[in-house]
Amino acid sequence: METENKPRVLVIDDEKGLRLGTKRLLELEGYIVDTAENGTDGVALGTKSEYDLVLIDLKMPDMDGIEVLNEITKVHPTSICFITTAYASYDTAIESTKIGAFSYIPKPFLPEELLLQFKKGYDRRILLVESEKWKAEREARLLEVAFEKTRLNTIINSISDGLLVVNSAGEAVLYNPSVLKYLQLDIIQLEQYIIDKLHPEIAQLIKNLLDADNYQCKSFSVQVELMGHERLFVEATSSPVPHPDGTLAGVVVVMKNITELKKIELLKSQFVSMVSHELKAPIAAVYGFLKLMNDKTVAIPDEQKNTFIERSQIRLDSLLKLVNDLLDISKMEMKTIHREIKEINLQRVLESTVELFQHEINDKKIVLISEYNKCQPINADVEEITRLFTNLISNAIKYNKNGGEIHINLKQSCNYNFVEIRDTGIGMKPEEKEKLFQEFFRAKNDRTRKISGTGLGLSIVKRIVDSYGGRIEVESEFTKGSVFRVYLPC
Amino acid sequence: MQTKKILYIDDDPDLVAQNKLLLESMNYHVYTAYSGKEGWDVYQQTKPDAVIIDLIMEEHDSGFILSYRIKKDVYGKTIPVFIVTSAAYLTGFKFGTSTEEEREWIKCDAILNKPVVLSELVQKLDEFWALHKK
Repeated sequence: METENKPRVLVIDDEKGLRLGTKRLLELEGYIVDTAENGTDGVALGTKSEYDLVLIDLKMPDMDGIEVLNEITKVHPTSICFITTAYASYDTAIESTKIGAFSYIPKPFLPEELLLQFKKGYDRRILLVESEKWKAEREARLLEVAFEKTRLNTIINSISDGLLVVNSAGEAVLYNPSVLKYLQLDIIQLEQYIIDKLHPEIAQLIKNLLDADNYQCKSFSVQVELMGHERLFVEATSSPVPHPDGTLAGVVVVMKNITELKKIELLKSQFVSMVSHELKAPIAAVYGFLKLMNDKTVAIPDEQKNTFIERSQIRLDSLLKLVNDLLDISKMEMKTIHREIKEINLQRVLESTVELFQHEINDKKIVLISEYNKCQPINADVEEITRLFTNLISNAIKYNKNGGEIHINLKQSCNYNFVEIRDTGIGMKPEEKEKLFQEFFRAKNDRTRKISGTGLGLSIVKRIVDSYGGRIEVESEFTKGSVFRVYLPC
Repeated sequence: MQTKKILYIDDDPDLVAQNKLLLESMNYHVYTAYSGKEGWDVYQQTKPDAVIIDLIMEEHDSGFILSYRIKKDVYGKTIPVFIVTSAAYLTGFKFGTSTEEEREWIKCDAILNKPVVLSELVQKLDEFWALHKK
C-alpha cells in the first residue's frame, strides 16, 4: 500500500492497553494510526486533520464519546466514526448511530470483528469522498458555465462593431446594442422575422446565404452608405453559422463603421487626381510646343521657336522638380526617410544655402541682409534642414522684385532656434495665405504666372518643421512682401 | 467675311500661347486671359464672337462660373461658349451638353476634352455660327 492510499485512523481511548493493542493490530493491516488518550486530545486531532476512520471510546473521564463524535463530524462529516464501549447498551448504540456514528462496536472485540467493521467503514468512506468530489466539481462547472455566459454577453454587448445573428427562418436570435445604429432600427424583436426591416443590400447579403442550396462556408461583404443625421459608411459581412451536422443554422452579420476610412480614401483619390492634373499640365504644354513647331501649316519665326524651346525646357524642368517633390512627400508619408540626426549649426546651413543662390540673387540685384546671432546647435538631419531653408530662401528670391531685399535673422529664443526670412516680394492676400501650406496651392495671378513652382515646396517645409516638433508662422502684406518665421527646438 | 474674334482663357500661359498662334494661323483674331476673373473683364471689353474657357483655373470650377456669367449676359447668349477640360478623364465624371437639361445647369454650349483638337473646335464654332447666323 502506498502511503497516500493507506487509510488513516484515529483511536481515541483512555485505556492504554486497548489503545496500543488496537494501534498495533491496525498497523499490521496497513492502516496509519494516530492515538489520543482522552476526549479533548481526540477532538483536537480529529478536527485538525481529516481522518478516514475514527474509533471513539464512549466512556472517557474528561469527555463523553458522543460529544467527541459530535465535534469531529461537525468539522469532517465524511470521517467514518465508530463508537466502542464495554458498557454496551441498545440505547447508546441507537443514539450514537443516530447522531452520525457509522457503527457501534461492543468491547471486548475480536480483531476480526474490528477489521471487518473497519473495512466496511473504509469502503463507505471512499464512496462518500468520491461523491463529495463529484458534487464539488459539478457545482464548480455550473458556476463556470453561468460565468462564461454572462462574460460572453458582456463582451458581445461591449464591442463597437454591430452584431446580428439570424436563424434559418430569418428571425433575429442575437444582437448587440451597436447594431441598432448601423441597421437604423430603434429596437430588434427577438424571434421575429427581421430581414424585411433591414437595408435592402444587407437583407440581400443574408438571403444569399439562407437561400443557398447547400451550406457553404463563405462570407460576403457589402459597403453601404447610410443616410441619417450624419453620414455613415458601414461594411456588413455575413457568414454562415453551421449546425454540428454541417447544415445551416443561421447567419451572423458583423457591421463595421468605415466612415473614417472612406474619408481617407476620398482625400487620397483627390490627391491622386490633383497630382495627375499637375503632371499632365507640363506634358501637355511641351507636347503642344512640339506639335506646333512640327506643323507645316503654321509659320513660326525662328525667334519664337527659340522661345518655345526655352519654355519647353522650363516646363520639363518644373516637371522633374515636381516628381522629385512628390517622391520626397511620399517618403515622408511612408516614413522611410533615413535620418541622420546630428548636431547642426543653423548659421552654417543658412550661409551655404544662400551661397547656392548667389547667382540668382545677383541676377535680380537683390540685397541680402543677414544677422546671425549665436545659437545652441539643434539635433536634426542636415539634408532635411537644408531642404527646409532652400525652399524658403528660393521663394524669397523667386517672388521678390528686382532690386528687392531679403533679411535673414537667426537667434536663440528660449529653447528654440528662431529663423526669420523676410522678403520685399509680391506678398499674399489673406485668402491666399490660408491655403499656403496645402499641396499644389499656388497663388495664381499676374505676378506669379511667370514664376515656376511645383506647389509642393511649402507643403514640404511644413512637413519638415512639424516632424521636428517646430513651428512655422507667416505674415504677409499683398504687394509688399512676406515674412516666414521658423522655430526649431534645440 | 469679317475676321472672327475668339477669347481664349486658360491659366497655363504656354497653352494659351500655342492655341493663340494656331487660331491666328487660321485667320482668327485671338484675345487671351489667364483666369476666370480676367476672362470676364476681357470679355466685357472685347465682346468676342466666341469664348473658350479652361475649366480648372484659380478654382476648380472657375470655368463653370465664368461660362455661367457669360451665358446670362444678353450678348453672351448669342455667342458660343465652350469649356475645355481634362477633368472628365481625371475625375471619372462625365460632363456633357448633349441634352437641354445639361445645358441648363452647365450653361455652356459645348464641353471639349483636352488636349483640344483645333479642327474639331473650329468645326463646332462654325456650326454654332451657322445655326445662329452670325
